[in-house]
Amino acid sequence: MKLPRGAVVAARVADDHEVALRTAHEERLTGYLVLEPSATLLLDEDGAGVLTVADGVPVLASHTGTGRGGADALADLAGPGPVKVERRAVDASALADVHDADGADALAVAPGEPARVLTGDRDLAAAARERAPSDHPGRDATADPLASFLADDERIAALREDAREEAKRRADEWGFADELD
Amino acid sequence: MVEAIAVASGKGGTGKTTATLALGMALAADGYDVTVVDADTGLANLLFHADLDDAPVTLHDLLLGDADVAVADATYDRFGMRVVPCGTDLGDFEAADPDRLADVVAELAADADVLLLDSPAALGSKSAVLPIVLADRVVVVLQPTIPALSDGLKVHEYAGAYGTDTAGVLYNRVHDPADVDAVRGQTERYFDAPVLAGVPAADVVRDARSAGEPLLAHAPESAAADAFRDAAASLDPDDRDEAAVADRFASAVVPDRG
Repeated sequence: MKLPRGAVVAARVADDHEVALRTAHEERLTGYLVLEPSATLLLDEDGAGVLTVADGVPVLASHTGTGRGGADALADLAGPGPVKVERRAVDASALADVHDADGADALAVAPGEPARVLTGDRDLAAAARERAPSDHPGRDATADPLASFLADDERIAALREDAREEAKRRADEWGFADELD
Repeated sequence: MVEAIAVASGKGGTGKTTATLALGMALAADGYDVTVVDADTGLANLLFHADLDDAPVTLHDLLLGDADVAVADATYDRFGMRVVPCGTDLGDFEAADPDRLADVVAELAADADVLLLDSPAALGSKSAVLPIVLADRVVVVLQPTIPALSDGLKVHEYAGAYGTDTAGVLYNRVHDPADVDAVRGQTERYFDAPVLAGVPAADVVRDARSAGEPLLAHAPESAAADAFRDAAASLDPDDRDEAAVADRFASAVVPDRG
């Protein structure tokens, strides 16, 4: 996905993805979000998620680290806790060209999906669906980012291994070592 | 004989306290003697839900206060359960005399079939992790989102590291049952435990909180209450030795002296 640089509206750390998505929705941003969670769920920690938004409604998703798009990219750009968010405004016609470009449909996400799978905020998801125009390229997208996340055995195994190691380290730190299994 | 079950989430906003009290009430209705111990540092939450926001005596007073305070003074009969407000965070009990701590927990456990520990939301501190260390099993409360699932998996791994089994995953505040159906199989595989329920998101849950009542008291006929009852029915609490539970509390909370 080739995006115009656009103008930075704001670059800050949000508490979570919900804040990022809601802000874009409320200010009806036309442009894109660059999302870098502080705790990535990726094996390879490089890269950032890019989510284009038209009138505040999510349209295309891609990930610069994994090179994946659409529902898979939403799984890649998820992460618990704070997320670094850059909001960039792009001229509406320039963004429309990006959305109409060859191959863009493969990156399309259903308008409510980012809110549904990243935040659980159904009101925000419904508001995005309602605001999406009838020709939104992800309107009929059915791929489930949650299923994409759970289908990645290798990534889940790595997450679990990290958590197990952290639990053991902290057991020593907090004096639980005797309780370790 | 008693089983200690921690209700944990790894992420705030999943409705964990609602779930703790709902599971407790459902188990109590099934004939179990249930004691809910508020192990959450944000304890005002549970106290508010259980109409206990001005409890005069807490576990804190029992462990660190006047020796004359009896266990019965810090337990409150509410909605068919006994509720024990904590009064501080569990990590602070390091100052407690380990023998006294063990005695108190043994006394709580002796009168209960199920000791439900309402745990703090995140895993960032000793007191937040303690309930998972202390419990025999943990119920992981989640919403069907990627961040919540990854946090829930972390709780599951912490529990495993400390020899605590995962009793099941409770999907809470579910807007569409299809969301849970789509991930049920993989959830059960990764957590090596059943999905206990998909509790629908409902206004009655918020109404119950506003009324200062547990959901099962406020809206017992609601679909959400039914789902919690189904989840509780599949928990099937086990008989464990209360002395072992008490020893574990004492040695984990006060590791250097326990």
